[in-house]
Amino acid sequence: MTDPSLDDSSRHEAFVALYVRHEAAVFSFVLTMVSQSADAEDIVQRASITMWRCFDQFQPGTNFRAWAFQIAKNEALNHLSKVKRDRHVFSEKLINLLADRAEERADDLDTRRRALDLCVEKLTTDDRSMVEGCYAEGSSIRAFAKRAGESENKIYKRLNRVRGGLLKCIEFQLGLEASR
Amino acid sequence: MSTDDLQHLIDQSLNGLATDEQTAALEQILLADEQARDHYINCANLHSSMIRRFAVAEQAHSYLDESPPRRRLAPQVFALAATIVLLIGVAVGIRQLMPSSTQASPLATISQTVGAYRPSDEPFTIGESIDAGLVSIDRGLVQLDFANGASLTLEGPAKLEVKDPYQVILHSGIVTATIPESAIGFTVDTSTARVVDLGTAFGVSVAADGATDVCVFDGEVEVLLSTSEVTASTTTAHLVKEGQSVRATIDSPEIAEVSYNPRPFENAWPLSSGVLQTTGNLRFVSPGPDFHPGNFQDNDNIVVFPERSNFTPDEPILVDLVDPGQYQRTHYKEKRKLAPGLKVTSYLLQLDSYPAGKNPNIQRRVQGQITFARPIVGVITMTRLLQESEDIFGFPDVQYHTAREIEPRPAGDKRPGFDSLVLAADRRTLVVDLMESPLHLDQIRVLVESE
Repeated sequence: MTDPSLDDSSRHEAFVALYVRHEAAVFSFVLTMVSQSADAEDIVQRASITMWRCFDQFQPGTNFRAWAFQIAKNEALNHLSKVKRDRHVFSEKLINLLADRAEERADDLDTRRRALDLCVEKLTTDDRSMVEGCYAEGSSIRAFAKRAGESENKIYKRLNRVRGGLLKCIEFQLGLEASR
Repeated sequence: MSTDDLQHLIDQSLNGLATDEQTAALEQILLADEQARDHYINCANLHSSMIRRFAVAEQAHSYLDESPPRRRLAPQVFALAATIVLLIGVAVGIRQLMPSSTQASPLATISQTVGAYRPSDEPFTIGESIDAGLVSIDRGLVQLDFANGASLTLEGPAKLEVKDPYQVILHSGIVTATIPESAIGFTVDTSTARVVDLGTAFGVSVAADGATDVCVFDGEVEVLLSTSEVTASTTTAHLVKEGQSVRATIDSPEIAEVSYNPRPFENAWPLSSGVLQTTGNLRFVSPGPDFHPGNFQDNDNIVVFPERSNFTPDEPILVDLVDPGQYQRTHYKEKRKLAPGLKVTSYLLQLDSYPAGKNPNIQRRVQGQITFARPIVGVITMTRLLQESEDIFGFPDVQYHTAREIEPRPAGDKRPGFDSLVLAADRRTLVVDLMESPLHLDQIRVLVESE
């Protein structure tokens, strides 16, 4: 139970503060389980509503992120059981392995996401504008490729390469921090 | 399996391009190899972070920066409202609500979209011009406004061919139409029927086998059976009035009357009525003939009815909530007035549950949210204010005998079981959380600015 001395607006404030702090972690956690961003957005959206509805049951002082992950995982499993008729999705066994590991490494993954900021700054102007074009809200790689006058395939390859570079950059940043 | 192969499978998967075989192959590797799992988690984490960084940040700002001119409520309430809108991810970004420049006199213009994509995965955007030709929608809802005033809402998957300002051909899918006097005669053709509007609102659906259903919400239409060539003279017209449905199939010799069923149109119709979307336990219904809100007892849903549209009240209207934030009970004399001279459309949200099962007094929560296409200018829930506005906005000849205001949690009260109503920072979304209690009606009247 949340602290009974909290009135309604303080509860809102407490929830918002916690949720905003951990939203990126929850989204990453869900995307790991379902791979596809559109699915992940849907799941996170539903999970956030469930979290707010069940916020009474959250014990203040305990780990909000772990509590949120649990709710998000249930939503993800629900979602996957529905879509698995139409396409192949990861088995529950793999979902459990990935979820356990992602939770174990949650702090590390937070650090990695923060390190991305520095690495994005190092992208060339071209790469950066491609990344922005591909990831922009409502945009699609297909639409971006068309605008850029290039084949989709080529854009995907460039995007994969840039992500590979960013991943290496993040590793490098973390290595630097660890050796400090 | 080389690391390049693994990387390829991960990229395909995160890009949403993986075939079932590729997903299965990736699954086998990840099940067997702990290092591969860690690498995959890193890739997914990076991808998630890039999505949030490049896609959502802008949208978050546009909601959070929109500070209302007169905010009387605690900032945290406002922040929650803003966050709820974000959390729930109202499908329509602020950018989509801003019509972009339109070109010189196209046949029709896209005036509203809700998650609407073409089969090529390209989104429909507001302000886009539609000229004669085929409009294919894969999913979502898109509203087309014709220069003559006719307005069509298409629900994907559907194929609609625009012929001229007064004629479209629906090849498949669902369309609802609102036709003002200026566009009387507007025609929707299908492979089996021709629907000619006589000043009205109606829905047409075409199934895979060509069977056409026509459902009239308001006014009347003429339906003709089409032969291989659509010629109005070959068949007699069938007049269909509001509250009636008819069906034409490929081999039917005549138009068949069927029972009135607006259900298939419950997604597309709200958009024509100014509702962008409802989520959770909110259900939009078309009033139809002999309408009485009392006919809509529903234990699972808050039901939404459009009331009076495009109306400028002469007398002052008192309202409970004007600014974004959470509704708190106030005294009658503290109520705000609706800005005078404003043209508004009203909607009634109602939770009218009935005693059910072994525990007729059991209380459950019913939650949902509704987003309107235009800004909400006033929300009314206090019984006295509902009564006062009834004559102006309500359905004629409908009277309610019970108290029907919602009960927000008084400050400092910790008991469970109160209602909550939040007007979100976008001023278009209401987040509703009501305790259902049989014998007691909950009603909320929402006044939305008209164009």
